[in-house]
Amino acid sequence: MLAASTTIQEGRKNRKMTHGNRRARIRKDLKKNWFAYLLAVPVLAWYILFCYGPMWGIMIAFKDFKPLLGFEKSAWVGFSHFVEFFRGPYFTRLVKNTVLLNLWGLTFGFTAPIFLALLLNEVREGRFKKSVQTITYMPHFISLVVVCGMIHIFTANGGILTLLVEFITGKDYDSLLGYSRFFRPIYTFSGIWQNIGWDSIIYLAAISSINPALYEAAEIDGAGRIGKMWHITLPQIRPTIVILFIFAVGGLMNSSHEKIIMLYNPMTYDTADVIASYVYRRGLREASYSFSTAVGLMSSVINFALLWVTNRFSKKLSETSIW
Amino acid sequence: MKHSSIKRFVSLFLIMTMLLMSLSGCGKESGEKETSKTDQDTAKQKEEKKEENKEPMKDYSAGIRGNTAPTEEQLDVVNNTLNDTYLGDVYDEVIPNDYSAYPWKEKVELEIWMPSNSILASVVPDMNDHPVFKKVEELIGIDLKFTSPPLGQEADQFSLMMASGELPDIIIEPERYPGGVEAGVNEGAYIDLTDRIEKYAPNYSAWRNSDEMRRKTTITDSGKITAFYGLAPYSEWMWFGMLIKQEALDKTGLGVPETIPEWHDFLAACKDAGYNEPLNYGSTYGQIFTGIINGAYNVWDWMFVDRDGKAAWGPAQPLAKEYLTTMRKWEEEDLLNSDWVTADFNQRMAEAISDDCAVMMDSPDTMWGYWMVDNKTDFAGALNPVLNKGDKSGTTYLNFKRTGSTAAITTQCENVEAAMAFLDFAFTKKGWELYNFGEYGSVHLVDDEGRPYFHADGLMYNDPEGQPLSNLIWKYRIHSFANIRDEHFSNPLITAEGSYSGDIRAYWTENMDASYAMPPITFTSEESSREAELGTQLSTLRGEYFTKIIKGELPLDAYDEFLSKANQMGLDEFVSLYQTALDRYNAR
Repeated sequence: MLAASTTIQEGRKNRKMTHGNRRARIRKDLKKNWFAYLLAVPVLAWYILFCYGPMWGIMIAFKDFKPLLGFEKSAWVGFSHFVEFFRGPYFTRLVKNTVLLNLWGLTFGFTAPIFLALLLNEVREGRFKKSVQTITYMPHFISLVVVCGMIHIFTANGGILTLLVEFITGKDYDSLLGYSRFFRPIYTFSGIWQNIGWDSIIYLAAISSINPALYEAAEIDGAGRIGKMWHITLPQIRPTIVILFIFAVGGLMNSSHEKIIMLYNPMTYDTADVIASYVYRRGLREASYSFSTAVGLMSSVINFALLWVTNRFSKKLSETSIW
Repeated sequence: MKHSSIKRFVSLFLIMTMLLMSLSGCGKESGEKETSKTDQDTAKQKEEKKEENKEPMKDYSAGIRGNTAPTEEQLDVVNNTLNDTYLGDVYDEVIPNDYSAYPWKEKVELEIWMPSNSILASVVPDMNDHPVFKKVEELIGIDLKFTSPPLGQEADQFSLMMASGELPDIIIEPERYPGGVEAGVNEGAYIDLTDRIEKYAPNYSAWRNSDEMRRKTTITDSGKITAFYGLAPYSEWMWFGMLIKQEALDKTGLGVPETIPEWHDFLAACKDAGYNEPLNYGSTYGQIFTGIINGAYNVWDWMFVDRDGKAAWGPAQPLAKEYLTTMRKWEEEDLLNSDWVTADFNQRMAEAISDDCAVMMDSPDTMWGYWMVDNKTDFAGALNPVLNKGDKSGTTYLNFKRTGSTAAITTQCENVEAAMAFLDFAFTKKGWELYNFGEYGSVHLVDDEGRPYFHADGLMYNDPEGQPLSNLIWKYRIHSFANIRDEHFSNPLITAEGSYSGDIRAYWTENMDASYAMPPITFTSEESSREAELGTQLSTLRGEYFTKIIKGELPLDAYDEFLSKANQMGLDEFVSLYQTALDRYNAR
């Protein structure tokens, strides 16, 4: 693999080389590193079979797909599924809710694991650090159904979270899940609780590879803890943060219906109903493969555009990019 | 150098094998082939057995009816032969008993795709081990091979199966096909049974034709028979409604309320008597439970048949605003549980057994468990409220004698006649006994009338694993299939000694007008996708406005806005879809 990627980089450098020359080089490299190429074959096969192969299935977004008639024989209907979605009375609200919920996730859910990793890095005592890590990982392994059941209990009338909110605001509340203004915080912060430990692993790994000499140098220059964190740790893990950020922006139009449908209700539709949950409700009435493919395709196209734009910006500003 | 290259080969080989193994996991096992000699032998034996069947059956009714200690011979007759002379004709329409097809003339194995559910999977992980189907195999001489999709993946597996083109012989729940069973027939997934049903499924034909309602609900608008439907001898009792704690009636000294004003006074009295949240108001919108109160205003939850026999949409009926006013008043007076919008089932049940709750809107079978069995709390059932004293209570619940599951035969079935013979068996007397009541002796006995029942010493009440009845109804009998489902007599949750949940359900059913119920109409493919589109929009709109108005987050006048939005969305078109389908249904 390593050898293969090196050759690709070399190939890039030598873009101006003649066609025949390059082919000869590749042949030579194939001979030399045949084993590395062979190892890459299963991975390539996996991508072709399971990622690129099924892609032509997106054409059912433009068809009236009938499972038994298959991809080819189902009738073409052009953009009618897209039109149904765009013209639907709830289109704007669904897109707005999807994007806003993801922006909340980006603002709070994305930054939280970085904070945790930075803080954990400052802890010197091994046992305490380990137990904090274990405790924060743990919720990641709890089934979503159980997590949502817990949220229901905590936010019920008289539940611990409800009491907390009542204490802070000084007002009386029924179940918090019945108020649309609380939906996004509940959704986002329960997500943080669930994933903060797990998501911080990658940052901790990045931090552990920082050269200790840098810290020593900073200490000599008189940097305190905060100073080292700000001037050494953060800049050193910036590439990791930037790349993960680009990916996160590329998921801005994504939404998963599972957690939403377990937490929302008609009172909170105006903030909680997202594209995925609406498509799910429609699917309950009739299995509509084409419609959900069309909606999924639309989301993916927008996601890709966002990813591309962020990546370009990042390339310009920080010289870190995913391609 | 040489050594390391061998090492390389070994590791590479291992990786490749693992990959291949994981890939080939999806492949199909090749079918096994029996030697033809034994086939011929069994065929010969079957012929002989068949000869025996043609002789008139020996009458065993005297020995078996009412017998509580069957002999070996009697056990053998009931469990291992097709003799049904001991079974009585307990329903108005006689259950057919044409066994001329069994045992089946040749060796055949049918592959059946049948979704499971969490309870069934917990008591019978593999349907091939279900004692009832094993017995059916023996009796009819057809081998059955069940495949069940993993729990929760039914929809995906179904579409994968369809897309792959590799279909089993029989599919249970064939209505999963987009557009319904008829679309599946038109597009070549299932076969049209119309021309063969009389010949190869004499029992099913006779049973469905013995009642107009059964006939009408099992034939398509275009006059085709496309599937075997579960068909009950009666329309099953309605299963949810108003349930009042007896102690609340005693404490308030009031009778069971009938009208909306009486209900208000009763709930207010309960509140005074210490029930802080007297009415546990069903759950979020979209569930049929709520039809209990809004029905009084003719504002049914969803589509219904109005007094002129026309399709109509409940939320748009003239008295909707009055209904919302009432509910809002009850909400403001704290007569409802404060979390009715968000409470899930467990929260509702916790509230039900608390001292704050006086009235539940739920199933008497469920409340029998939570109130009586667990907490010794007696309760009574009330009819759905009405507006004026003397009005008849109504409901939109009626199952039109069609219940259980549906089964269709696919276009890839090689032995359609055998598949029909297997499905047809469920509509014979013997099938009625076996599917509903399980094995004779160990699970059920037969009473003086010739009706099977679960005896106190049987496995149903003495499960070696100590499983609750709600699980056992899936373990020792078939709870849901395309058969003659005899729920009222074969569901031990209803028949258990001392239980009155069945009485409440019977009382509701007998005293409520179910003519508002929309019959099981069918849509064409185009209608169906339009219905899904408009239906999703309208139900989102209805749920949101109704909940918010009752909760006081929107003013009552928001109802007018709701109505105009519904009209903009295409309410007229939505109703006319139903009207067209209803007209076609009525013309069947």
